[in-house]
Amino acid sequence: MTILKTENLTRHFGGLAALDHVNMEIRENEILGIIGPNGAGKTTFINVIAGIYLPTQGKIFFDDQDITELPAHKRCRLGIARTFQLVRPLPGLSLLENVMVGSLFGKGLRQREARKKAEELCEFLGLSNMTRDITRMTALEVKKMEIAHAMATQPKLLFLDEVMAGLNSDETMEMIALVRKIHSWGMTIGIVEHVMRVIRELTHRVVVLDWGQVIAAGAYEQVSNDSRVITAYLGEEA
Amino acid sequence: MKSSRYLVYIGVLIILLTLPFYTGVYLLNVMDIILIYLALALSWDMLLRSGQISFGMAGLFGVGGYAAALIHLNAGVSPLLSIALGGLAAGFLACLIGMAVLQLRGMYFAIVTLALAEIFRVVIRNLPDLTGGPEGTILPSAIFSGNSTKTYWLVLTVAAVSVIASEIFRRTRIHFALTSIRNDEIVAKSSGISVFKYLVFIFAVTSAIQGITGGAYAHIYGFVSPEGSFSLDFTLLPIAMTLLGGMHSTWGPVVGALLLGVVSEFLKLKIPYGHLLVYGIIIVITILFFPQGIVGTIGQRLKKNHVERLAS
Repeated sequence: MTILKTENLTRHFGGLAALDHVNMEIRENEILGIIGPNGAGKTTFINVIAGIYLPTQGKIFFDDQDITELPAHKRCRLGIARTFQLVRPLPGLSLLENVMVGSLFGKGLRQREARKKAEELCEFLGLSNMTRDITRMTALEVKKMEIAHAMATQPKLLFLDEVMAGLNSDETMEMIALVRKIHSWGMTIGIVEHVMRVIRELTHRVVVLDWGQVIAAGAYEQVSNDSRVITAYLGEEA
Repeated sequence: MKSSRYLVYIGVLIILLTLPFYTGVYLLNVMDIILIYLALALSWDMLLRSGQISFGMAGLFGVGGYAAALIHLNAGVSPLLSIALGGLAAGFLACLIGMAVLQLRGMYFAIVTLALAEIFRVVIRNLPDLTGGPEGTILPSAIFSGNSTKTYWLVLTVAAVSVIASEIFRRTRIHFALTSIRNDEIVAKSSGISVFKYLVFIFAVTSAIQGITGGAYAHIYGFVSPEGSFSLDFTLLPIAMTLLGGMHSTWGPVVGALLLGVVSEFLKLKIPYGHLLVYGIIIVITILFFPQGIVGTIGQRLKKNHVERLAS
C-alpha cells in the first residue's frame, strides 16, 4: 500500500529547480531513506510535502487523497509530521508544553489528555524533568523533544530531517534504537540523513536525490553501488 | 500556598469593590482613568502574545465610543447595552480588517493598524450628519447621571472583563497557539495550528475589548469627538504601561497601568504636559535596563533564587 505518492513534483526557487519532476512513493510501514549531497533538495522535498512550500508543478497524494493545495496545518491533521533539520524549539514554553503543542493541535486533544499524551511520549523517549526550561537541554534532548513534538500529532507518516546530525556515536546508537521502536508501532517513516551507517541500519529502501532529481531508488546495497550515486557524491573521475 | 493566594485575590477584590465607601470622588475619577488604560494595556498585550504589534488601539477605542454613543442616541438603546454593542461593532470591524491585513506581519501590520486608526478618525470627522463632524456629539447626560460610585463600578467591570479574558487566554490552548505563532510560524503550522484563523480571532477579541472600553469612556464623559476619542494617548500610554510592567502576562500590564497611571496623575498636577516627557524617559530606561518589565524581572529573580537554593 502506498501512503504517499508524488507525481512530477517540481519546486523552483527563482531559476533554480530545487525539485525537478520528482516521482516518489512511500509505502505503508516502511522506513524510506532520502539521501543526496548538500543542496540536492531533500529538505525542500519535506517542506513541499508538509505544505511549507507549495509546489511549482506536480501533485501530491496522501492516503489516495490529493493534498497538493492543502495548507500545512491541515496536512498535519491528516497525519503528516516532521522534525526540523535546524531544531526549532519554542521558547517561553517548557519541554512538556513544547510537546503538548503537537498533541493539542495535531489531534485536537483537550488540554488534560494532551498533557497526558505528551508525558507518555517524553517518558518513552527518555526525557525527564519535563517542566524545565528548554534553554537547559542538551543537543540530544532537544532532538528527542522535536521527535516527541512531531509524534504528539499522532501522524501516519513521520519525516525525520537529519535527527542524527551533531550527535556522538553512543547517542546515534540510542537514536537508531528509538527510531526502530517508533517504527515498530506501525509508523511509516521518511528519514533524511547524511550518516550512512544510519541509512544502512534503518532503511528498507533508499531514494537518492541530486540537483532535485531522483537518480536512484532501491535497497541500500543496490543504491550504494550505483555508479550515478557514486558520481553524485564523489564527483566525476578526472 | 494556593489557598492563601486565593485569599489575597479575594481581599484585593473586596477592597476594589468597596473603594467608593471610604474614598473621595477625586480618587475614584483617577481610578476610572487608570482602569480604562489598564483594560487597553491588557488588550494590547493579548495581541502581542501572538507576536503582532498594533498601533491601532485608539482607532478601535474611538470606533467603540462612537458606536456606543450613536446607538444610544439614535436607537434609544440603554447606555450599558450600547457599550456592549460598541464593543461588538469594534470586534466585527476588526474581524473584517483582520481578514484583509493579517497576511502582514511585524512592522508592516503595525503600520497598517496605525494608518487604519487615522482613517477611522478622518472618516468620522467627515460624516457630520451622522457623527457631528469635527465638533463631535454630546450625549444628553453622562452615564448614571454622573454618579461616581456607579461609574467606578462600571469601569471596574470593564477592567475585570479584560483581566478574565487575559487569564482565559493564558490558561487554555489559546496560550499554546499564540506562543507557537509568536516564536515560529512554521512550527505552528506544522503542528496543526491554523495561524491565520487564530490571528483574526485574537485581533477581533482584543479589538472588542478596546471597543467596550471606548464605549464606557464615551458614556462616562458624555461626549465623543474625533480628537478626544481617537487621541493617540489611547495607543501610546497602554503600550508604555505594558512595557513597564512586563509583556506576555496578565500581571505585567496591570502593574504597569497602576504605576504609570498614578505617576501620570501626580505629574499632571506638577508639570502639565511635561508628563509625556517623563513617559518617554521611563520607556527608554525600561527597554534598556529591564526589557522584561517589572513583573518579568521580579519573576526571573525569584526563579533564579529558587534554582540557587535547590543547587546549594
